[in-house]
Amino acid sequence: MRMQFDPAIDGVGVKCKGRRWVGLITQGAAQMAHNALELTNLTQRFQNHTAVDGLTLSIKPGEVFGFLGHNGAGKTTTIQMLTTLAKPVAGTAKIAGFDLIKDPMGVRRNIGYVPENVRLYDNLSAYETLMYFAQLSQIDSPAKRVIETLEILDSVGLARGRVGGFSKGMRQRIGLAQAILHRPQVLFLDEPTSGLDPMGIKLLRDLILRLNRDFGMTIFMNTHLISEIAKTCTSIGVLSHGKLVFHDRMEVITEKYGDDSKLEALYLSLEPSVTGRSAA
Amino acid sequence: MTQIPPVHRLIALQSCRFILRERTASVLGAMFVVLVMISAWLGWSATDTTNRIYLDAAVFLKAAGQTVPTNPVLDISPLSLMRNMAVYVSLIGVLAAIVIGNRLVASERKAGVLPLYGARPIERSAFAMGKLLALGLSVGVLAAIAGVVGFVTFLLLPNVPVSPQQWLQFGGFFVLSAVYLLLFGALAMGCAAMAQSESVGLLIPVTLWLAVTFILPQITANLNPTAAINPVAALADAPHTAYFQWVGWALAPISVADCYKFGAARFLDMAQAPASGFYMVWLGVVAVAAMAFARHALTNIDMTNGGFDA
Repeated sequence: MRMQFDPAIDGVGVKCKGRRWVGLITQGAAQMAHNALELTNLTQRFQNHTAVDGLTLSIKPGEVFGFLGHNGAGKTTTIQMLTTLAKPVAGTAKIAGFDLIKDPMGVRRNIGYVPENVRLYDNLSAYETLMYFAQLSQIDSPAKRVIETLEILDSVGLARGRVGGFSKGMRQRIGLAQAILHRPQVLFLDEPTSGLDPMGIKLLRDLILRLNRDFGMTIFMNTHLISEIAKTCTSIGVLSHGKLVFHDRMEVITEKYGDDSKLEALYLSLEPSVTGRSAA
Repeated sequence: MTQIPPVHRLIALQSCRFILRERTASVLGAMFVVLVMISAWLGWSATDTTNRIYLDAAVFLKAAGQTVPTNPVLDISPLSLMRNMAVYVSLIGVLAAIVIGNRLVASERKAGVLPLYGARPIERSAFAMGKLLALGLSVGVLAAIAGVVGFVTFLLLPNVPVSPQQWLQFGGFFVLSAVYLLLFGALAMGCAAMAQSESVGLLIPVTLWLAVTFILPQITANLNPTAAINPVAALADAPHTAYFQWVGWALAPISVADCYKFGAARFLDMAQAPASGFYMVWLGVVAVAAMAFARHALTNIDMTNGGFDA
């Protein structure tokens, strides 16, 4: 793969040898001076329950961030706030340099989102679905972009199939495709491997890594699977009862704790609901 | 570079496509069109029979050397032949509009696709506008099909001349019908956006429709349910009692079925049609209010998961 500056598109073109698709990273993404995500005291409450409690966190551009936590820890609520689907009751965040509260449209233009158990229009084909979302995102030459995206995800064969007849893995790939049509700087994935078989998990993991490598996308991924975290992420954070109880780079963690089993022990030690104790 | 249509138009077109593939809405829409055709055929058949009897009688009277009276078909306005259409608009048309309004929102909530809209650079107001546009298009198509059916029927009717003024009135009737359908469609859309469950979202507009169509006229004018939907003024006035006077006055603002009935009667040249200017204006005001309600509900719809509670 080679990267080249193309003044006509005011950005950096990404061309892959032996492939037909040509990606595009905007200059902002390639030379992002700010953190990809900068969360400051982000808080969400539902009636008397505090779902996310003063979350403060920084994620650098190009990272694959794994967000771990027990069921109900507040991971999905955090993603819903960061994708502008829900307003935080306190705190704020900057995503790709755009303020979540002051400029939600700026945030939306620079993020992609794949919800847990991604659901699409069952009666449309994959191509129709992606064309619709490409047009909604006001992408120029949407048909060309849809084909490029399907090629990136090795899913051209799915184009004509009706989404309603797809397996979970196929849906997940089309869900991923709709999220990257506009080549976002930050991609949010909520439990992307949930319900997938081992082959589906591997395919998805490879796709995530490819998007991160070839397009420089920052990935924010909620997950339960520690083994996946170890294989995919460059940094992790652990959320417990709405509070961030751990955050570090993967290389530091691997150096300290070694293999997956040690990582699992670390995670369990941070989970008061599981072990009854938390990291001091 | 391809010219991308505005977001609200894209949402409207996709929603219309979605509705065409929705069985319940399509079946009700098709039923409405079929009933409109039946009503046109009944009007044509009744007029044609009267006309034939008149022509046979005229031949007989001429042969007998007697005076031939004028054709009774020419004594009544041809528009009144379409009176059954007003009944079908009030019944199956409104039901179709409610189901369309409901499905335009509820089916997307049920499908769980709202987060995919919410995380995109789409203004919530554009989303609401797209949905309202889709409702307007669907209801407009229903009214337009009914109008074309009526138009063709008049062209086929023998010896029934329709004046330019009457053509305008005929067009006005379908505009009025479209506004009436839009009112209930928008109400259903707003309820579908706000309701916690899918069934409640449908039951509320249906209950309101039944109340204003069948219950309200009984309370305000002592009309029986069949008379309530007929665009013929009541044969007998409401009892002249303080109860009917005050209840009629108090509930007049929400008696939209009466507004439609009186307006339809005036457009279709029905005998005894009451003065309808105020009623038609009021119907328009209520329809605008219903659309404002739908817009508010759609602009504030929860897009976190979009689905209904289990």
